[in-house]
Amino acid sequence: LRLIHTTTAVQRRNVGASGPEKYTEAFIKKQIEEFNLGKRHLANMMGEDPETFTQEDIDRAIAYLFPSGLFDKQARPMMKHPTEIFPEQRKIQWGEDGRPFHFLFYTGKQSYYSLMHETYEKLLSAQKYQDQLIAQDLPLQKEKRNLAGSRWLTKIELEEMLLERLSDDDYSRFIQLLQKLVALPCSDIEEKYIQKFSKEVPVQMQKVLIEPLQHDERGVAFSTGEGRRKTASATAVVYDNGTGKMTVNGKDILHYFPVLQDREQLLFPFQFLDRIGKHDTVCTVSGGGRSAQAGAIRLACAKALRSFVTEKEVEFMRQAGLLTVDPRVKERKKPGQEGARRKFTWKKR
Amino acid sequence: QLEHGYGLPTAARACLSSVSSQDVPTPEKPRAVFHTSESDPAKHTEHHEGRHYSIALEEVKAVFPHGLPYRFQQQIQTFNEACVMVRRPALELFAYLRSSNLAHPAVRYVIYGERGTGKTMTLCHVIHYCSRQGWLVLHIPDAHLWVKNCRELLQSSYNKDRLDQPLQASAWLKNFKISNEHFLREIKTQKKYMWGKRESTEEGRPLGEVVDQGLTRVRSASDAVGVVLKELKQQSHRGSFQLLVAVDGVNALWGRTTLKKEDKSPVSPEELTLVYNLRKMMRNDWTGGAVVTTLSQTGSLFKPSSAYLPQELLGKEGFDALDPFVPILVPNYSPREFESCYGYYLERKWLQHEKARTEDGKAELQFLSGSNPRQLDRLAGPL
Repeated sequence: LRLIHTTTAVQRRNVGASGPEKYTEAFIKKQIEEFNLGKRHLANMMGEDPETFTQEDIDRAIAYLFPSGLFDKQARPMMKHPTEIFPEQRKIQWGEDGRPFHFLFYTGKQSYYSLMHETYEKLLSAQKYQDQLIAQDLPLQKEKRNLAGSRWLTKIELEEMLLERLSDDDYSRFIQLLQKLVALPCSDIEEKYIQKFSKEVPVQMQKVLIEPLQHDERGVAFSTGEGRRKTASATAVVYDNGTGKMTVNGKDILHYFPVLQDREQLLFPFQFLDRIGKHDTVCTVSGGGRSAQAGAIRLACAKALRSFVTEKEVEFMRQAGLLTVDPRVKERKKPGQEGARRKFTWKKR
Repeated sequence: QLEHGYGLPTAARACLSSVSSQDVPTPEKPRAVFHTSESDPAKHTEHHEGRHYSIALEEVKAVFPHGLPYRFQQQIQTFNEACVMVRRPALELFAYLRSSNLAHPAVRYVIYGERGTGKTMTLCHVIHYCSRQGWLVLHIPDAHLWVKNCRELLQSSYNKDRLDQPLQASAWLKNFKISNEHFLREIKTQKKYMWGKRESTEEGRPLGEVVDQGLTRVRSASDAVGVVLKELKQQSHRGSFQLLVAVDGVNALWGRTTLKKEDKSPVSPEELTLVYNLRKMMRNDWTGGAVVTTLSQTGSLFKPSSAYLPQELLGKEGFDALDPFVPILVPNYSPREFESCYGYYLERKWLQHEKARTEDGKAELQFLSGSNPRQLDRLAGPL
């Protein structure tokens, strides 16, 4: 049997994926020149001064010229400096004669091992300094670094810095070495070096303002809160010195929410703070369905209760998820499918 | 001061509880808060408000062969005792009944309230009181059963326009017989009644015979019911007995029915013999008794579920027919009543969940049920 007629597709072997495209330096340089030219053109088009055209101005101009309704910001048209767009890549590590530049090239992980060597050198120098101080009988400096507010780089961040892959083991060894270095009484040089590998932990998310209690004509303290869940929006006014009654849109909760599950949702904030029979609530709600309205009222009540309660309990509520807006909304139906996820019935033929 | 009306089970329970819990000084003490030993409703006063009193099981079978709510019957079976809470509407009714002059035309009382607040239970409490006092109780458990889900409709032999319901009528007659045995022997008929061509009841025969006639000849059961009602109405003014007409779900008598004739035309309530005769009872043109009725939305047809006022549920016709009447509102549990009910469940070990026994659990139950007796009962079930 001989194969007479063949197509080029069959002849061509399966070319395996050759990894991400490699950009040459010349290519990147050309992109940068094009970007700068484009920037000046854009500034001209918008009537601004090309010399003082910043990246923010570029973003605004592009958003104006190419309006897009896509939800994903990364999918919209953008014009940024090529270094932000093209990922950093290693230049060729060897010269024309084929000799590698770095002395540790043949280890395979040259940047990692060179980093380890550097760090160890710093460690040795710190120990030498310590020995010197002991020999001179000088007091050892003990400046407590603030470890609570900082963290080490993650493995991914370190990989980005070194531009080569690391294994978990390598990463943990590096961190151990850093910690050992930090444990010694350090001097200034090491501080600067260590700061390269540590990051500040953001203290806390934006401090949400808790409104103070207001008082109405009778002198009863009350506070308001708003909540949303899946197209339902609710406002709740929680009064102090109450009997635990709740009214929704003028009706009692037993009439408005005949289902037990909805009433349990309403009960949750009060039960969490052990204040079931202490507050009266008046709520208004619109939109959404039965469950969405219950969730919206729950959020509104929890927000209103923040004013009645200590900060620690507010933190507890936040961790319990009582104060977070539920981001789940109805997923969009896609073309070619019957619903958001459901596909059409698959017929074999 | 307690345990007179109770039998061995209670005493055994008391012994067990005294053995198990040494730190409680008197084992009956928790019971005393939510219970009273007054098993005679006549002696219930405001002092007893919020407390449960129990009815002996034989009495339950005799006085309420039909008419207790289904869930309550299940509760009786589970707990092996029938405990009813004394509440203010019932006490109000007792006061009215005591002070009513039997020579005047019968006063009509309408018990109304939201769903599940205890209207039927109040009615049963009143029935128990009256039966203890020696009244003749004419109890129709649920008038809605007569206007819906009827399999057989016969054309009435007495009146061509009307329709008979043999099954419902015979069921009711059977239960009526159980509850009022001794009265049926004493009351005598005043007229001769013909059942069909051959059977007849002579004048002066005891009413029990009419009832038996209705039970044996099912075809004429509805007519038998009509005869019973007419006789009782005519004889009540004599004073030999007091008549209590207790109807649950009286709004069924003036609403619409779901029944259809053979030619698929809808049946209006007047065309049903049972309903027609009952409406005659409802009129206050007789003396020597009282009429206590309950409005019920649960079984009612074609009425929205948020309706509970007499105006809405009775409709214009019914309201005019029952006017004037004394309305009695039955509210949800007051905090005290709620505590009493909760304590009763706790004491009967109905609430098994450990959190249910704490204060927080109680507050949670109160919030979730909204102090509504039915909701509380349903909530406490799975716990």
